[in-house]
Amino acid sequence: MSDLLEVLRAFTTATGCDAGLWASEPNGPATLETVSRDDSVLATWTPPLEGPPGRATSPGGPVLVQPIAGARRAWVVVGPCTRPDPPLEIFLKFLLPVVTHSLQASLEVEHAASELAERYEEINLLYTISEILGRTVSMEAAAGLILKEISETVGARRASILVHDPERDVLHPVASLGVGEATVPAITVADACSVSARVFRERRALIVEDGVSPCREEEMYRRGTMLSVPIMWTPPGGGMQPLGVVNLSDRASRQPFTAGDQKLITAIATQIGSAIQNARLVRESLTQQRLVHEMELAHDLQMRLLPRAEIVAPDAIVAARVVPAESVGGDFYNLFRLGAGRTGVMIADVSSHGYRAALIMALAMSATAIHAQTSNDPGEVLNALLASLTEELESTEMFISAFYGVIDREKGTLRYANTGHPHAYIITTEGTMKRLAALDPPLGMVDEPPAARTVRWTRNNDLLVLFTDGVSDARDRRDTRLGEPRIIEVIVEHRKEEPSAILERVLATVEEHTAGAVRRDDLTMVLVRS
Amino acid sequence: MSFSIRKQGDVVVVDVEGQLIVGNRQELKQKVLDELEKGERKFLIDFSQTGYIDSSGLGVLVSLSKKIREQGGELRLANLNDDLKTLFELTKLDTLFQIADTRERALESF
Repeated sequence: MSDLLEVLRAFTTATGCDAGLWASEPNGPATLETVSRDDSVLATWTPPLEGPPGRATSPGGPVLVQPIAGARRAWVVVGPCTRPDPPLEIFLKFLLPVVTHSLQASLEVEHAASELAERYEEINLLYTISEILGRTVSMEAAAGLILKEISETVGARRASILVHDPERDVLHPVASLGVGEATVPAITVADACSVSARVFRERRALIVEDGVSPCREEEMYRRGTMLSVPIMWTPPGGGMQPLGVVNLSDRASRQPFTAGDQKLITAIATQIGSAIQNARLVRESLTQQRLVHEMELAHDLQMRLLPRAEIVAPDAIVAARVVPAESVGGDFYNLFRLGAGRTGVMIADVSSHGYRAALIMALAMSATAIHAQTSNDPGEVLNALLASLTEELESTEMFISAFYGVIDREKGTLRYANTGHPHAYIITTEGTMKRLAALDPPLGMVDEPPAARTVRWTRNNDLLVLFTDGVSDARDRRDTRLGEPRIIEVIVEHRKEEPSAILERVLATVEEHTAGAVRRDDLTMVLVRS
Repeated sequence: MSFSIRKQGDVVVVDVEGQLIVGNRQELKQKVLDELEKGERKFLIDFSQTGYIDSSGLGVLVSLSKKIREQGGELRLANLNDDLKTLFELTKLDTLFQIADTRERALESF
């Protein structure tokens, strides 16, 4: 306004008449903005501005009041003058265009300055949000801070961030402001009357007029005009996805939200989208780590349950190994020294993977340990095992393929029961092979008690060979199976060696075949000479 | 690895392409159970394009066979290659299923 003051002062010097400028904010009272002389009557006396333009009488003499056209309500007043009968109308005609132009120019400068201030505020907000997101991992913590910053910048007293829960298909609040202690309810995505739900579904921002929400669920989110913006996220492969909604309402200024506000919040919502996605990835990765750790513990436990081969010595020389797959499997073997030169040998495969299979395996191992000591007949032992596990097997839809044999080196017999276990053989030192085929389907598939059969056993000569399908089904990188014939071939070739040496040869063959391919199943093998 | 399902008369025929193993068994199970839920009662699983079934795949077949029977339905298997036939014999599963050499014979047997 200093330029205008110079103009008014020059006017007074030239004409001997005072001049002043009054202005008012919308709906506010008019106040004196500039006056040509500080000791002018105009500095203390308020002319009748609201009336029709024209002459008025001030304590110092006649004045002329004229409103100025423009965006702002303003008036220029000329007079009183030091000379008698001043030509006020002529003086005004000279002064009015100059004042109008000056006023317009200063208004434009003011407007530009305030625009600039707003942009600075927005840039500052974006910086602040980047900082918040940079230093927090928890989405909930970040959401609260972000919401506070946004609300302060756009002057909203009520605000919320809702995030989509895909399982329940609802938008649930992760942060809210201005609702006091109340708990804000989740909003169903399909909700027909909710603004948030509509914004989420249609993936575009909405500014809704002043009014109370017609939706009961959304009442808490909205007071007066409301701005609702979708939180979008674009995955690396493209294809935007909505993740949630930002709601702002109850503006302190009572002004409606503008397209500028919408643009700003949309930009911030995109940042929030990336943060939500990052937080989810971090959480998933932590869960994954925990899962891997638990799997390792389960593996450990499984391995500890398996007996050492030496427990059946000196009645039998045994080599046994379980090589676990990436996930927890359900293979196991068991060995029992039954007295009078008898040795019990079991191999089994629970038809699944993961924790449940591991649990069934542990149950089966402890159950057989009891049953093997109470009955000499392998069929009865497997039947008792089935009885112990029937409920678990039924509820989990799992099955156990199992072979249990009792070698009596004194009598020269092997009595066995086989429920669906395909890989069981006797290989003699002469190199002949006898398959001990399944006598019944796997345990858990039928209710009939397993049968048992007796075959001849040549002491210190025969080799009992048991392995699970993880061995014969081992795949190379081209997905080709190793196959049972190759395993038998290796064993027959080295049949005269110690069981532990033969076992190493078979495992080396498997290793050579798979050559670093991912192992999908446990590998279990038991070799017994007695 | 995929399963195709089509209707032949009143029999739901499922073709298993590739392998039936731990990784895809649940998909087969769900597809067959969905049909059972819809009211279908006659099922034929054709293995002419199947190379291998692992122990968990066998488990799913038994579980399906039980569920179909519980609903008063029937399950037939057809076109097992020699390896698969041996696997069924070795595990004694051949005693639990009605197995036909060809799809036509299996369809006639309902």
